[in-house]
Amino acid sequence: MPFQLTDEQVLTRDSVREFAEAEIAPIAAEIDQNHRPPLESIGKLAEAGLLGMLIPEEYGGAGLDALSYAIAIEELSRVCATHGVLVEAHSSLCTWAIAHHGTEDQKRKYLPDLASGEAVGAFGLTEPNAGSDASSLATTAVRDSDEFVLNGQKIFITNGGFAKTFVIMARSTDAPGVKGISAFIVERGRPGFEILEPERKMGIRGSSTTPLAFTGCRIPAANLLGQEGAGFKIAMQILDGGRTGIAAQAVGIAQGAFEAACKYAKERVQFGRPIAALQAIQWLIADMAVDIAAGRALVYRAADLESRGEPHGQAAAMAKLFCGEMATRVTGKAIQVHGGVGYTEAYPVERAYRDAKITEIYEGTSEIQRLVIARHYLR
Amino acid sequence: MRIVVLHKWAPDPQEATVGADGSVDFSRAKAAVSDYDAVAIQCGRQLADAAGAALVGVSVGGEAAARPVATKSALARGLDEVVVVSDPELEEAGSARTAQAIAAAVAALGDVGLVLAGDSSVDVGARMVPAVVAGRLGWPVLADVDSVALAGGSVAVERLAPEGVQSISAALPVVIALTSEAVKTKAPGMKDVLGAGKKPVTVKSLADLGLTALSEGAVTSRAKLGGPARKGVVIDTSDPAAAAAELVDALRAAGALA
Ligand SMILES: Cc1cc2nc3c(=O)[nH]c(=O)nc-3n(C[C@H](O)[C@H](O)[C@H](O)COP(=O)(O)OP(=O)(O)OC[C@H]3O[C@@H](n4cnc5c(N)ncnc54)[C@H](O)[C@@H]3O)c2cc1C
Repeated sequence: MPFQLTDEQVLTRDSVREFAEAEIAPIAAEIDQNHRPPLESIGKLAEAGLLGMLIPEEYGGAGLDALSYAIAIEELSRVCATHGVLVEAHSSLCTWAIAHHGTEDQKRKYLPDLASGEAVGAFGLTEPNAGSDASSLATTAVRDSDEFVLNGQKIFITNGGFAKTFVIMARSTDAPGVKGISAFIVERGRPGFEILEPERKMGIRGSSTTPLAFTGCRIPAANLLGQEGAGFKIAMQILDGGRTGIAAQAVGIAQGAFEAACKYAKERVQFGRPIAALQAIQWLIADMAVDIAAGRALVYRAADLESRGEPHGQAAAMAKLFCGEMATRVTGKAIQVHGGVGYTEAYPVERAYRDAKITEIYEGTSEIQRLVIARHYLR
Repeated sequence: MRIVVLHKWAPDPQEATVGADGSVDFSRAKAAVSDYDAVAIQCGRQLADAAGAALVGVSVGGEAAARPVATKSALARGLDEVVVVSDPELEEAGSARTAQAIAAAVAALGDVGLVLAGDSSVDVGARMVPAVVAGRLGWPVLADVDSVALAGGSVAVERLAPEGVQSISAALPVVIALTSEAVKTKAPGMKDVLGAGKKPVTVKSLADLGLTALSEGAVTSRAKLGGPARKGVVIDTSDPAAAAAELVDALRAAGALA
């Protein structure tokens, strides 16, 4: 499948790269070391149109196609995976859901602020007892005249510490399993909605990952997102797009580490010549390059299918599975090329290696992606 | 009024490779809007917004200069429209031919009060084009400019000199060559990228501009740079008028002025 990027996709890559190198690269190592969410970037991301990528123009966004979006996530992640997931979770998991499943009123109310950076978005599906088995979630939303009352707990919610607009999955009917689950828009600051202490993580340390607690939290019935009982289906659709985004994040992390490895290989001299002259190093570089190219092709394929409105769930699962594992492989090799210094905080590959691992876990583990792919062929 | 910004679609020197013999190979370098011209476009956008002027890009080159990706790249940085002079004869053209084509394109536009340019191109870096364009147009040129403000029919610029800031004003029309520090460039946003393809682009050939034989001009001197030995005369500038008179006298005495 040959891909010829459009001029706009080429410009998206160039522009986001320029933005990321100017605005994000200077803080990437520091936010990692301090586990600090880069709140100062939100206004800049919004101004560059990077928070409204999946928001239609009439609601203040740029209305990008899925492939341009994936390219942008890759470019952000090439420099800083934390910024990559900040934008990805905001866009794929929150703005996309409201743009595609929201009523006209909901779109008018929430999307312009999400595009302008006035609000950042988040998505709450996972719970202490419902991870891979998301359908077993236990948070409840009980109808009380023109309100829903939420009770329960979510964990590992990306952007939790500062997001204003949350898409939350909760059980609103007695129907068993997936049929009882509905999606809601919940605003930060609602009485009974508490955001708890962020996790301290191995990688993407600047990303805010928090538990959420709902205790008799009342929200207007008008905040039901999509049909009642359709929540699980909506969540799965959200994740179909999101997985391409995470795969793109993984490609970006790998690409950044790869470039660092090439640079170092040409500079480091041992046995009288640059290590790049050693076949052992060349083979590592070649294998990394092929791995990244293969992963990027899978991302482009999934994004292209999505852009054309074709079914893309299985393609997204393939991209996410391959790219997550690929990023871990490639960043490991990038450290190997660096030798000892690669294991220190002085070089960016150490951070890339820690950041890469999460792409095998969130938005569905590699095992769950294999399940999705196998089901497609064995049904 | 129109404000024109000159921009070159040039190979990125970051991607050029330098051979063992010192030769520079641009063949694998990706083309982009020359970094210094991005500064001029952004500065032009600010001036055009403040003055309510239209901001027109003028680019000159071979076939590649007229490719949609080239014009969109420049338009995404804030131009309102672009005029490209694209002609096989302009492929790899030197400063004189390039400037001749630019001057003709600027003259053809009409109502141009200001031409902005980067003070050199990223790939060639001869720093000649703005001055030759100004010469062709018969306008003054201000080079090494760090900031520009428009006020009515004149322009006020500042240049950073080792002794301090030099302020100069000139009546329009003028050509200004900006330093790369004049503004901090900002990457185009997603809306700029998507909007670029909707803006007007005019592609002209040399014949369209009535230009036939372009020439690089005759080489008039092959003297080694460096010139005669310096005399090391230092003029006290605390009284500028007296200093100017002293300088003129010294130049007369040396036979440099009649
Ligand atoms: C940093 C971070 C950010 C996150 N952001 C969000 C967010 O914004 N919103 C959100 O809702 N969630 C988020 N998550 C949650 C994430 O999606 C889950 O952690 C993930 O889906 C795995 O669930 P779990 O942790 O409960 O693992 P478990 O489901 O307990 O899995 C443990 C192991 O068992 C395997 N396993 C489980 N079931 C099967 C099966 N059927 N077949 C084979 N293997 C299986 C898994 O693959 C894994 O190896 C985030 C998590 C992290 C760490």
